[in-house]
Amino acid sequence: MNFVSPDLSPAFAEMFVLGMTCLVLVVDVYLKDSQRGITYVLSMLTLLGAAAITATSGVVARELTFSGHFVSDPMGDVLKLVVYATTAVVFMYSRDYLRKNDLFKGEFFMLALFAMLGIMVMISAGSMLSLYLGLELLSLSMYALVAFQRDSAQAAEAAMKYFVLGAIASGCLLYGISLLYGMTGTISLSGVSAIFSSADQFNIPVLFGLSFVVVGVAFKFGAVPFHAWVPDVYQGAPAAVTLFIASAPKIAAFALAIRLLVDGLGDLQGGWQDMLVALSVLSIIIGNLVAIVQTNIKRMLAYSTISHVGFILLGILTGSQEGYAAAMYYAIAYVVMTTGAFGLIIILSRKGYEAEHLDDFKGLNSRSPWLAGMMLMLVFSMAGIPPFVGFYAKLTVLMGLVEVGLTWLAVLALVFSVVGAFYYLRVVKLMYFDEARETGEPEAALDIRVLLSANAALVLLLGLFPDGLMSLCIKVFQ
Amino acid sequence: MLENYLPILIFLLVGAGLGGVLLLLGFLLGRGGKDAQKLSPYECGFEAFEDSRMKFDVRYYLVAILFIIFDLEIAFLFPWAVALDGLGMFGFLTMAVFLLLLVVGFIYEWKKGALEWD
Amino acid sequence: MEILFYVFATVLVGAAIGVITARNPVHSVLYLVLAFFNSAVLWLLLEAEFLAIVLVLVYVGAVMVLFLFVVMMLDVNVESVKSGFTRYAPVGVLVMVIIAVELAQVIWVRHMGLRGVGELTPMPADYNNTRELGLLLYTEYFYAFELAAVILLVAIVAAISLTMRRRPGLKAQDIARQVGVRREDRVKLVKMDAEERQ
Repeated sequence: MNFVSPDLSPAFAEMFVLGMTCLVLVVDVYLKDSQRGITYVLSMLTLLGAAAITATSGVVARELTFSGHFVSDPMGDVLKLVVYATTAVVFMYSRDYLRKNDLFKGEFFMLALFAMLGIMVMISAGSMLSLYLGLELLSLSMYALVAFQRDSAQAAEAAMKYFVLGAIASGCLLYGISLLYGMTGTISLSGVSAIFSSADQFNIPVLFGLSFVVVGVAFKFGAVPFHAWVPDVYQGAPAAVTLFIASAPKIAAFALAIRLLVDGLGDLQGGWQDMLVALSVLSIIIGNLVAIVQTNIKRMLAYSTISHVGFILLGILTGSQEGYAAAMYYAIAYVVMTTGAFGLIIILSRKGYEAEHLDDFKGLNSRSPWLAGMMLMLVFSMAGIPPFVGFYAKLTVLMGLVEVGLTWLAVLALVFSVVGAFYYLRVVKLMYFDEARETGEPEAALDIRVLLSANAALVLLLGLFPDGLMSLCIKVFQ
Repeated sequence: MLENYLPILIFLLVGAGLGGVLLLLGFLLGRGGKDAQKLSPYECGFEAFEDSRMKFDVRYYLVAILFIIFDLEIAFLFPWAVALDGLGMFGFLTMAVFLLLLVVGFIYEWKKGALEWD
Repeated sequence: MEILFYVFATVLVGAAIGVITARNPVHSVLYLVLAFFNSAVLWLLLEAEFLAIVLVLVYVGAVMVLFLFVVMMLDVNVESVKSGFTRYAPVGVLVMVIIAVELAQVIWVRHMGLRGVGELTPMPADYNNTRELGLLLYTEYFYAFELAAVILLVAIVAAISLTMRRRPGLKAQDIARQVGVRREDRVKLVKMDAEERQ
């Protein structure tokens, strides 16, 4: 046996998160309900420690380890840092909400940490096998989190739909992977890439495998026509879980797309570009149009997510480094905006009552000008109004499209963004010009207030000074 | 390699053949028509009260799924045991970590009371 | 050899059709057992002994037991659930044809410029498939192996957090507490002065 022990150091962050999650798991079962705060603190320490490890690792070039199943590169590090921050923000927003609804249990934090570990595995996947296992780890934790509120029939229904559709999508992805494996004889992404760079690329079986893989990716993104689960799951899950599902897994989906389509099948770009064009056009059109008729804000944000996903796919389909960087920038900007918006829904919710109807936002300005102001910034950013980050993100994606000669796509995306602005602005109208249905300021702990302010401030700051993050995104793709 | 499985194939054939012959014999030699009364479920002379299908306690399911998880764990132990002499320290530690992770799960289910039936 | 493959493959396809056409769901499950068993035999014909045994051990032995539980727990009229069968059958057939064509394409891909898996040669009689698998699984693929452990761990946490429900106020016997009880917990001797006779 001539096997050399692999270098474990690139995966220290994953190992740390796994070890700490197991620690949380064991500690939590020995805690009384009143001591659940310890679980929360431990979970936050996990995120902090992982961030410290990733930030100090200082990867400058692509490194493969674990027999090629694990890849560590600058893009992975940046995405992982975003995911840690997102998860921490989710935990902070959720804490009081979970307490109020008797959901403040260790399982929420453990499952979320496991889901985050799955995302990290996907971000660092060097082979189709680890990519798939990371995806399953993420999905399984997510199914359980959606069903987490056990007495809610709505949550159970959402979890069921998510599970059945998710299983079919995983099956599609796995089938596509097995076709590719059958043709290339390797599961490592670099191996697949090496074979396709020299072989005849456009035979029928390759396209079959490719299309199944793209279906799997599109489902995880929630792109039309594989979006059926998104609104139901967003609406049915407790707001804290919705906040998590809407944010961090989108980074995972981005990583999945980049690893599979760019790292592995980059030479088939001509094949998947057309598929992504169809997906993104449909997503932008349907997402923006259907969002207009929603009365439930969680559903409205779900359709808004679908349209944002369309933009991320637009960035990826350009096939240029600028396009990938723009897509990455858009994904990060989307996560920042969406955590803020769902955080606000969480703040407005009370015990046993989710503030999920648009009417709950009526006259918010008279109840709390501060909250209304924060929401105003988030909504403007989502609509793509300058100077917020959403505008800059859309702009870079559109510029990337024009550069590769897909001007018609850019025009179409622009038109439907303007259509989409309607339902965002309706929220603003409700907040500022309608009578409040109830009085009294929504209560929120100081740290959550600070967090929401910081979140909204970030939306503005990233929009005013986009160069730092943008140059980072460009650098990791060079 | 497959020659080793010839006895099993013969066993399968004999098993299937014997089963088929016995069914056939019963069918040929058995008397009596199968009327509705004869085919209906027998319940101490009463008409059947209700459908035999009913809701089970969800804990049966929990026990079954926990069993499957540890069943899988054991399935992973077989090739490890067979190959252990060629694996070296690294292979040993690999399995140690694997088992450690599942022990964590075991502690969790024990402390949660999932192994008890009230 | 070829004949064996076709026999078992035919039974497999027949069993799979039985799964979706049987009226009684318990029969469906039993057909599924047959289907799993036959796929195990197919794996065996490919000389993948360990995978064949695991398929029987895990799927036939454990997963199908769980399926039987679930089927029995379902207190629904299965006939009505199956009523849409003829309506959806054409779509199903279409998907089946597409998948079959794809598989055929991939098998013939060797003639289309890609490397493919290449020709397979049978191993000698003393070839130990399980050992070879073990030598790879715990070294080259240890990352995937540990991830499998994490997924199993998540399954434990998810199953327990979703189905465990303690009924409050149950009068259950706790043997450990019974054994551990001491005299002082049960009997309390109280010294008091004798009452004066009235």
